[in-house]
Amino acid sequence: MSEQDKVKIHKLPTGVPGLDEIMGGGLPELSFNIIAGSPGTGKTTLGHQIAFANATPEHPALYFTVLGEPAMKMLRYQQQFTFFDQTKVNNTIRFINLSQFVLEKDLNAVMAQIAKEVEGTSPGIVVVDSFRTVARKTQAASEMELQAFVQNLALHLASWQATTFLLGEYTEDEMRGNPVFTVADGLVWLYQIVERNAVVRKLQIVKLRGQSSVPGMHTFRITEAGLETFSRTLGLAGKKEKERSKRRLSTGIAELDKMMGGGIPEGDSILVSGASGTGKSLLATHFIAEGLRRGESAIVAVFEERPRGYMERAKNFNLDLETAQKAGRLDILYLRPLDLSVDETLHEILEAVRRVDAKRLVIDSVAGFEMALAPGFRTDFRESLYRMISALTGIGVTILSTVEVEVSFTAFRFSNFSVSFLADDIIRLNYVEIDGQLRKILMIIKMRGSGNSNDIREYGITSKGFIIGPRMKGHRGLITKVPESLDSSAQEEEPPDKPKGEE
Amino acid sequence: MVNPPTPAMRNLALWLLAQEANAGKPSEIKMYAAFRVCEKLRRRLSTLAGVTGYRSLISRALTLAKKEAPSLGEVQVKEDGSLEWTGAIELQQGMDEAGKEGGAVLVTQLLGLLVTFIGQTLTVRLVRDLWPDAPFEDMNSETEKEL
Repeated sequence: MSEQDKVKIHKLPTGVPGLDEIMGGGLPELSFNIIAGSPGTGKTTLGHQIAFANATPEHPALYFTVLGEPAMKMLRYQQQFTFFDQTKVNNTIRFINLSQFVLEKDLNAVMAQIAKEVEGTSPGIVVVDSFRTVARKTQAASEMELQAFVQNLALHLASWQATTFLLGEYTEDEMRGNPVFTVADGLVWLYQIVERNAVVRKLQIVKLRGQSSVPGMHTFRITEAGLETFSRTLGLAGKKEKERSKRRLSTGIAELDKMMGGGIPEGDSILVSGASGTGKSLLATHFIAEGLRRGESAIVAVFEERPRGYMERAKNFNLDLETAQKAGRLDILYLRPLDLSVDETLHEILEAVRRVDAKRLVIDSVAGFEMALAPGFRTDFRESLYRMISALTGIGVTILSTVEVEVSFTAFRFSNFSVSFLADDIIRLNYVEIDGQLRKILMIIKMRGSGNSNDIREYGITSKGFIIGPRMKGHRGLITKVPESLDSSAQEEEPPDKPKGEE
Repeated sequence: MVNPPTPAMRNLALWLLAQEANAGKPSEIKMYAAFRVCEKLRRRLSTLAGVTGYRSLISRALTLAKKEAPSLGEVQVKEDGSLEWTGAIELQQGMDEAGKEGGAVLVTQLLGLLVTFIGQTLTVRLVRDLWPDAPFEDMNSETEKEL
């Protein structure tokens, strides 16, 4: 069957940022849907957001309330959300209380009342909140009666060209064999998971007939604007990968560029790993400042220090970030609120990358990023970070992430976080003890698809920033941090960060 | 905290009563205008909040109003939320002015509760659905203004 022969399913906006993309483009028009979840998961808010987003004078919304939250209180609380347009109440959105019918009459009477209201209004959207209480009416009666009621309701509302949402407090166990779920075209399940002191909200499109939604659990948040969702594919699903360029990006440190065969290949993910105080953030700042100097735009996501401090530190090393920041070519994101979900954070970073059209991104640091997340989200951390890095490098953004490793004199680690698989290239910064001095060495561990220097170089941090010295000769066992001297003459060379007064 | 009815709410109540007084017979007791205002609101609010929801609201408004207006002593709320006079007819006839004032207090309290629960904007919208010309002034304002 050709595309032309197929019936076109129009998609309605959900009114929820990110949810249209998760649903595969929006809500299928004329569909019969269930929004399920336990109390407090945001079902009513989602129902309202959908109603407010779609209600028009030509296609109003009918919002039936049934034995749940009293309607007056519902209006009282829901009007606090920014999407709640009071001019639509009892105008394009009509709230109708069915409690009395459900309490006093049978399902046929409830059906007749809904039908009467629908026929009188010709709504585009119908919400029943909560349908669970309607369904309970049949508990004493047969399952067949409920099946017939739901079937008739679905048929009637579809015939009257309404897109319907039944809201209900269900548990997952109730899904099996429940006629309500069988009849539904779409099923959105909302979860609220408490993990230690943090609350994690997630949603899943369990079922959606006629279009492909993004599978899996997606994080969402309820703010004053209502629900906001964060797709686990970060809105990057199906994005075309950019052909890899052969361009090398300068790190801003000439010697390091040489060690890397001319710089970092554009579109690579590079990991700078090292113990505290080895200069990872400074190296990252060189990388950013160099890009800005060349007219590129950049994003720095900081988790361990505030943007002001980051700027000040750059200034101390004569690295100018301020000009580009004022020109809107640099955005420093400070992302440290607790209870942050990984997808939310990544969405913020992605949004910033899109906003400034960034070519370079620094994540400083991966460990700080993980610590900023709610405990419940940490299990998803590596997977989500991998998705973001893959997606961004795929469109040509070069990402430099710093990662702190514990100082160990017995083991040589790239990172404590097992994130080295995220990197195309790895730079390792390290301390070594030589002649009673703690000195710094740098090496390129890995460069995917290109050659690099095998040298272990000593480096120092001066007022000019990161200064790389010559290859460190005359020792063996440098990477164990307790090297042995091979040749005493090799000790004559001073470390590159020797204080100026002693030069 | 429950907001006490403001002068603006009372002004709106008086305006509504004036509209409904015109709709009644000249011989009718003055309190019936308030009953008609409440009845119109009942029909609209029962759809929105359910019969029980409206009945709770009008019962609370009546309880509050009775403290200020003894003339409402014989008024009761029926099962469906409508109002009825349970006293002797002669008693009504002898207290026209007090009855008028009682009606104003009752409607003011009802409007006050609506503003407390759903806010001024939605309350005015609901009222204007029934009385499109109803005047609007800030009902949260304490300042008295003549309509």
